Amino acid sequence: MTMLEISDLVAEWDPVTGQRVRIRRDDVVARLCAAGDERAARIVRRMPVAGGFLDPVAVDRLLVRVHTELQRLNEELHMARRFAEILVPMLTAARVTGNRPRVVDIGCGLGFLVRSLAASGSLGAAVDLVGVDLNRALVAEATRLAEDEGLPCSFVCADAFALTEPATVYLSSGVLHHFPAERLAGFFRAQDRPGTQAFVHYDIAATRLAPFGAWLFHRARMREPLGRHDGVMSARRAHSDQVLLSAAAHATGMETFLFEPPRHTNPLCAAMRPVLGVRPELTGEFRRAMGRRARGLVPARTRAG
Amino acid sequence: MAATVPVLLGLLALIDGGFAGFRAATGRNARIRKRRYYLLAARRGYGVGAAGLGFVALLVATALAVSADPVPRYAELVRAGIRLLQILLPFAALVVLSLLGYWLLPMRESTFVILVGLGPFTLLRPAVVLGATAWSVLGSTDWLVWAGEVTAAVSLLAVEPVVHRRWYRAPA
Repeated sequence: MTMLEISDLVAEWDPVTGQRVRIRRDDVVARLCAAGDERAARIVRRMPVAGGFLDPVAVDRLLVRVHTELQRLNEELHMARRFAEILVPMLTAARVTGNRPRVVDIGCGLGFLVRSLAASGSLGAAVDLVGVDLNRALVAEATRLAEDEGLPCSFVCADAFALTEPATVYLSSGVLHHFPAERLAGFFRAQDRPGTQAFVHYDIAATRLAPFGAWLFHRARMREPLGRHDGVMSARRAHSDQVLLSAAAHATGMETFLFEPPRHTNPLCAAMRPVLGVRPELTGEFRRAMGRRARGLVPARTRAG
Repeated sequence: MAATVPVLLGLLALIDGGFAGFRAATGRNARIRKRRYYLLAARRGYGVGAAGLGFVALLVATALAVSADPVPRYAELVRAGIRLLQILLPFAALVVLSLLGYWLLPMRESTFVILVGLGPFTLLRPAVVLGATAWSVLGSTDWLVWAGEVTAAVSLLAVEPVVHRRWYRAPA
């Protein structure tokens, strides 16, 4: 059975022009039915249309609601602290290059990570925090929220790899499983660019428990049927450690690691685990700055072997 | 026991109301700093919970006031209350332990507490309330016990949806 997330199907932007693509509801329903997902098809059938096309305003409102609910899960899982424990040593190592670091969150949604890191000040003041997403409505809401709280960060509606200024560190949370395995290599290769020193991408750990945990957690914490559906589907689509490391190896100028993957820690504590990449010349400094936590770094070759 | 049981049940209902208010407001505000927002939501839940509790107390007090034999009926209510506490107190203790674990344990372990404790407990709560009510009323034939406890269970479970629909339908 093909595993599809509704949120991937109901909103689409042309990657070149940035223009929104009109989506016929019947096409989405047909795709979900063909994938054998009647429940998802029922959810989409209830979404409002104008002339057969999904109403973009209603879709945007729904996605903002879902992402707002999703933020609660990120808060409970301490995602900002998890990123900070890796980003602080990463930036310590990257500052050796002398440039002001720029952290870019790919597929930032409502920008929870960027805003949370900005609010905590855990990365220090001398860093630019930028959230990037193709969804204009989410970027507008992230900008509004950041301005409302006076947070030192910014948001851009664009392709993260087409920004004029390069990122020192790319990061993402819950984005990797949206890529089919065969497109992951291209995603990692795109980060091996001049000026970029590292990346850290957290995603759901592909364990046997993950779909049940996701069902339970989304059932308990989310109200929107779309969010509950996509939450479970995310866990079912999650890539294995091996797939992620193989794909990350395509960033040939980086040393790649998993950090505390489920096989190396209590699987219930590793609901989310990151794949990291660091320039080889910075790896020593990064490990030093990580301190005792560096023991949780599992290099690609160990896993591959 | 005559005073302790209703006081304990009342306290549990009020605390649960506060948490229900908190839950009703979750997932509706994407700001980072939300302490005041959640405190207000907890106060709203507490207020709605207190109103429900007041209604149950009024129902019971009125029935006892017009009853020909209020003392044995009050004793029956207390016995039913004890049966309620037999289920609600251990559950409340587990929730409190989970909350302490979430607040006090290191980051990874507190995630563990969320996954095995607080998340499942949120789903279990309605079943626990209904189970405790059933366990309590099935041991009594007094209609006042049935009416009081069923009303209390409904008002307890209604706090979260009422607060959510009244104040937190749309994202803030």
